[in-house]
Amino acid sequence: MRRMRETRRRVGENVLLAGFLVIVLSVWELAGRGNPRVLSYPSQIATSAWELIVVENKVLPALLATVEGLAYGFVIAAVLGIVVGFAMGRIRLVELVLYPYAIALYATPRIALVPLLVLWFGIDLELRVVVVVLSAVFPIMINTYNGARQVDPAYLDAAAAFAATPWQTLRTVVMPASVPYVFAGLRVGMVRALVGVVVAEMTASVVGTGRLIIELGAFFQTGRLLVPVMVLGVLGVVLSVGMAKAQTLAAPWAMREGR
Amino acid sequence: MSSRDATVRGATGASTRPPLAPGDRDVDASRGRDSERGALSIVNIAKTYGGSARPVLDGIRLDIGAGEFVSLIGPSGCGKTTLLRIVAGLLRPSEGTVELDGRPSLEPSREKGVVFQHFNLFPWRKTIANTAYGPELQGVSRPEREETARRFLAMVGLSGYEEHYPAQISGGMKQRVGIARALAIEPKVLLMDEPFGALDALTREYLQRELERITRSERLTTLFVTHSLDEALFLSDRIVVMGARPGRVLAVFDVPFGRPRAQNDIRSDPSYAELRKRLWDLLEGELARAATEAPGQETGA
Repeated sequence: MRRMRETRRRVGENVLLAGFLVIVLSVWELAGRGNPRVLSYPSQIATSAWELIVVENKVLPALLATVEGLAYGFVIAAVLGIVVGFAMGRIRLVELVLYPYAIALYATPRIALVPLLVLWFGIDLELRVVVVVLSAVFPIMINTYNGARQVDPAYLDAAAAFAATPWQTLRTVVMPASVPYVFAGLRVGMVRALVGVVVAEMTASVVGTGRLIIELGAFFQTGRLLVPVMVLGVLGVVLSVGMAKAQTLAAPWAMREGR
Repeated sequence: MSSRDATVRGATGASTRPPLAPGDRDVDASRGRDSERGALSIVNIAKTYGGSARPVLDGIRLDIGAGEFVSLIGPSGCGKTTLLRIVAGLLRPSEGTVELDGRPSLEPSREKGVVFQHFNLFPWRKTIANTAYGPELQGVSRPEREETARRFLAMVGLSGYEEHYPAQISGGMKQRVGIARALAIEPKVLLMDEPFGALDALTREYLQRELERITRSERLTTLFVTHSLDEALFLSDRIVVMGARPGRVLAVFDVPFGRPRAQNDIRSDPSYAELRKRLWDLLEGELARAATEAPGQETGA
């Protein structure tokens, strides 16, 4: 009985969602057909998607270039951010020396550095990787730092009572206790990384999804321009869902509450 | 039981003891007989927190025999938790020392198992890994320490819950894990800070009985902080009543009931009511005095 009511509620919600989607698409379609240059419209976007993705095969190479820069950059940012974050959180000297820089750079819009980075790294893969690292590393670092500092004293007490050495305390208490913070940092870092790589491609690149958007925009091809934008949207969703999955795998306990 | 005793304690002589009879002053009989098994001395302990002129603890002396169960009871602010943390090695005394079997013991060690009021289990470890924590730190191999953990989880009645996370079990079960974790290092001394204070009354009474059984069968020296007279009377061989500002020992009472104990039996004993009244009268006076004084220095309580 209860399950049936639950199922019926789900079905109802999905009908509502689908109905709203139909309304949005219809209104867009009607409005877009009136101003195709400015708005485009769903059926035109669908046709453009077919052309761009399948017939001309422009989207996949662009997407691969973007993902390549994103992958290298994010892995470097994650390792660097987590290591330095823990070091700042647990070692007073490291905190004293590095924290002011970390927080200052965290607050600076790193995108503003792109023109300078072009001078240093050119406009190839290196640039994309460097921009991704700079975009993602500080949220990861600052979150890890906060996690490493804010370990519940109750856990540290327990470790001390069992005569844990400092290294054992770090490994068995500080690191696991920080996992939710680290993942919060990784999620924010991932979003920043995606923004960073696309901006780098839009401002200084000959490849990548961002570059493709610029090209299509230059020819006022509104319907086609929205295709890579939507692809980026899908990529963003995939990455954040993947991140959430990774967190459940890494820390199943963190989904629940309590000691 | 006796064969497990030998493995658990790794001690000689323990397994040759005759079976316990009701009314047997088991613990007293073993006291002093095995000096290698957790005789605890608290020698002139004083604790003053930095910047404060008034000590939290002053001149605490207490000798606890091997296998003896001693409760600390007193009003809030009497420093009983502070004293327990000093014995555990989690806090440095300003003066005095703690000796275990005649050797100084001011650091945490594998000879002292600690049970916390709020359990302090690691939420990222399953029950079995929480229990195996001490042996893991000592470098015991995984199969061996999990074997140990299973044994102590069984002792506290938690077989079948090895793969649960703390968030998946009740408060009473969490504290059973807390006790199993402390026992798994096979300590000489068990230090318990209001271990049942965060539990409901029925669970509490049930766990008291379990603890009475375990400390008796393991012959563990136990120092037990509590707010409850009945809890102290049920569990203890001796009850230490502490006063506040500064924290000090007011009186020590012997609890004459034999073991094994059952709550209902000892409560119907005429001497129970009398002893309880003597304890209460002493505490009441101390509480009244504490209530009229300005509050302060509540930190260590």
